[in-house]
Amino acid sequence: MQGSDHSIARAVLAGDKEAYGALVRAHSATVFRVAFRITGNEADAEEIVQEAFLRGYQRLESYQGHSTFGTWIYRIAVNCALNRISRPGIEAEYRHGEESDPAEKTVQVAAQDADPERMLLSKEIGVAQDVAMRRLTPTEKSAFVLRHFEERSTSEIADVLNIAPNAAKQAVFRAVQKLRRELAPLRGNA
Amino acid sequence: MKHLSEDELIEQYYGEATSAADAHLKACRECSAQYAKLSRSVDAIGPVAVPLRRADYGESVWERLSPELIPYQKKVAGWRGWANWRAVALLVGCTMVLATVFLGGRYWERVITKKANIASTPQAKQRVVLVVLTDHLDRTERLLVQLEHAGSKDQADNAQLQSEARELLASNRLYRVTASNEGDPQLAGSLDRLEGVLAEIANDPKLTASDIDRVRDDMNTKGILFEIRVLRARSSDQVSGHGAAKGATI
Repeated sequence: MQGSDHSIARAVLAGDKEAYGALVRAHSATVFRVAFRITGNEADAEEIVQEAFLRGYQRLESYQGHSTFGTWIYRIAVNCALNRISRPGIEAEYRHGEESDPAEKTVQVAAQDADPERMLLSKEIGVAQDVAMRRLTPTEKSAFVLRHFEERSTSEIADVLNIAPNAAKQAVFRAVQKLRRELAPLRGNA
Repeated sequence: MKHLSEDELIEQYYGEATSAADAHLKACRECSAQYAKLSRSVDAIGPVAVPLRRADYGESVWERLSPELIPYQKKVAGWRGWANWRAVALLVGCTMVLATVFLGGRYWERVITKKANIASTPQAKQRVVLVVLTDHLDRTERLLVQLEHAGSKDQADNAQLQSEARELLASNRLYRVTASNEGDPQLAGSLDRLEGVLAEIANDPKLTASDIDRVRDDMNTKGILFEIRVLRARSSDQVSGHGAAKGATI
């Protein structure tokens, strides 16, 4: 795949714009997934997909082919998402959302359980988790999403976020500690 | 027996613990109970349900993106391109330029040999690097002092702090990598901790007084400030020639 990614990139750089379509089709879903997990917002994630592939196209000359195109565009997408959640306007919108009706913005799906009490609790936990995630700093949130949901190693996280491995590790530690503290009362443990 | 910290338990949870921590966890009942508790709570942080995309999602992304892309200019590839007269002319031109540069360089080399010898000694290079590093540590120290005393709700002050942190973050990364490559763990470690603080300040979307408080508390900025002061003193000593050869050698 790496060889074919590289040959497609070469074709694009030689003037074959349409060849880039193959890369976009192959990697769009992955880019959307990570963008959504970081932003928690479908519309934002859609925009990030467009932005990441556009940036990827513009910077294609810097794609050396040392990694797969998927890894390379993933890194660009995470950075786009990090920039997005770091924007003051976006943050304010999320905070406003929290105050008005967090349930509207939640992305957690309630357990498919027939017991209404359990469903309600599951929904409550989902909302609380969503709110707690939004309280993390952009770096903590991105590092946690990459570690916990995307199952990336510390060195991969450091590489993607362009920070030192120890800083990446510390960001994950702080995120986990904050989430545990915030969610403990709901789950009845520390 | 020293028990595992929460950070070490988190490392264990994500499969990145050291073998010593792993062995301790197997032997210590208390840590094992703490780990089970942590695992339960972290396991419960459920995956975010990602909205499903249609099978032709990639196609629709491409359709929206394609009109925005300007094709790269076609390049003449392969040996055929070199066959035309323009390439030959270019080659001749390049050869002449190279010959001129080579001869000129040899002449110039003789003129500046003495000067270059002085400037290119390892000691001279080290001195230059130390001066630059001292300047970086100096700026960092000022920023940390500002951070320690920042309590204002004035957004302009905080924005200035943030902009300074962004500038320092890039250079700090460079110094950290170099220090690490040059085998100076003390300097690399301090710059590493400093990088965490700079990243937090630089990436905060709306740096408020409470955000600054949080960074101060979470990241022990006082401790880092102390480390930076020690390092700055060490590197100033070396610049003025009183320091030993050992130490900050980047």
